[in-house]
Amino acid sequence: MKPILLAGLFGLMTSAVFAHPRLSMSTPENGAVLTAVPTHVLLTFETQIRLTKIEMTHQPHRAIQLDLGDQKAFATEFVVPLTRMGKGQYRIEWRGLAIDGHVMRGDLTFHVE
Amino acid sequence: MPDVWSVAAITAKFLMYLGILGSIGLVLARIVFGQATAGLWAGISRQAFALALLGLLTSGLDFALKGAVLTGDATGMTDPQMLGLLWRTPAGTAVVYRGTGLLLFLAGLPVPGVGVWISAAGGVLTLWSFSRIGHVPEAGPFWLEMLLLLHLMGIAFWIGALFPLRRLAGEPGSLSEAAMLGHRFGQIAVVVVPVLLIAGIVMAWYLLGKLSALITTGYGLTLLAKIVVVLVLLGSAAANKLRFVPAMRNGDRFAAALLRRSIAIEWTAVYVILLITAALTSVPDLPP
Repeated sequence: MKPILLAGLFGLMTSAVFAHPRLSMSTPENGAVLTAVPTHVLLTFETQIRLTKIEMTHQPHRAIQLDLGDQKAFATEFVVPLTRMGKGQYRIEWRGLAIDGHVMRGDLTFHVE
Repeated sequence: MPDVWSVAAITAKFLMYLGILGSIGLVLARIVFGQATAGLWAGISRQAFALALLGLLTSGLDFALKGAVLTGDATGMTDPQMLGLLWRTPAGTAVVYRGTGLLLFLAGLPVPGVGVWISAAGGVLTLWSFSRIGHVPEAGPFWLEMLLLLHLMGIAFWIGALFPLRRLAGEPGSLSEAAMLGHRFGQIAVVVVPVLLIAGIVMAWYLLGKLSALITTGYGLTLLAKIVVVLVLLGSAAANKLRFVPAMRNGDRFAAALLRRSIAIEWTAVYVILLITAALTSVPDLPP
């Protein structure tokens, strides 16, 4: 019984594919150190997502909402204009709905010296 | 870092699980145990009604809170754009199944005779909603969704059986009925528990992909915590089956008190398991 069960379990091993849209790439990259403030932040997701909110925090200022413009559809790539606030640490927090119904959120930070 | 809306979403989900699994479990236990719980049906029916109502309200709350997570503030709960967006995804499909299923469940409760079957059908429809959204339908084939349904029906039955068992074990005059019910529950558990475990293992295998993910990812560690509490539950259930229930069948009243204490432990374990599951199913990222 046991060997059959184990064989069955191994048979089930698949390259588990998940539909969750992980942030696969961003420009600037998470943790990047830059010499100039970028004009835009580019977010690339593994699968389709509809971004609902994106905020930028530059200490010691309060978080400000960035404008998604007309990017109001499910997509894998989003280009969002940044508000340039000089040197320091920028934290970008995004929220969105994956096409599979999952609510997603995440963030990235980069530094301008 | 979970924000306040994510915490609220997990809490609503926990209550939703409790309401849905508890109410459906009571009806499943009523069907499976038949005559043994006939005398308790009025009370069971009231409990099932209250739990199903809790399930219905928290299903709606769970949906609205997703809107709040999308905007990061309370306005999302009533924002037509956010809710409309959710409605068009599997999140909307799931809430339709849940709403329809629970209303059918509630409608069946007061109907004598066939009503219990109407409620059971509503219950299965409600549980099927969990196969429409979440990690399982994305990761696996159709039979994995059926496995999740089976897993949920097993858990519901277990939770549902705890109510009448605890009631009967607490009444001095019903020692033999309690012993009988405990004995039958133990017999059925021999089939249900392995199904629950195998279904759980297969689903975990599918979601995690490899054993090491159990300790190297947040999802895996949370799942591990759930498994530990499940083991506590199984240990307690084994004590019931092997010691307390046989003693009760021999007329030992003290064993009934021990069974009640053991059921109280099982309840605590069930609460913890549902809470961990609510957190697990809210975690957006599975291991790569």
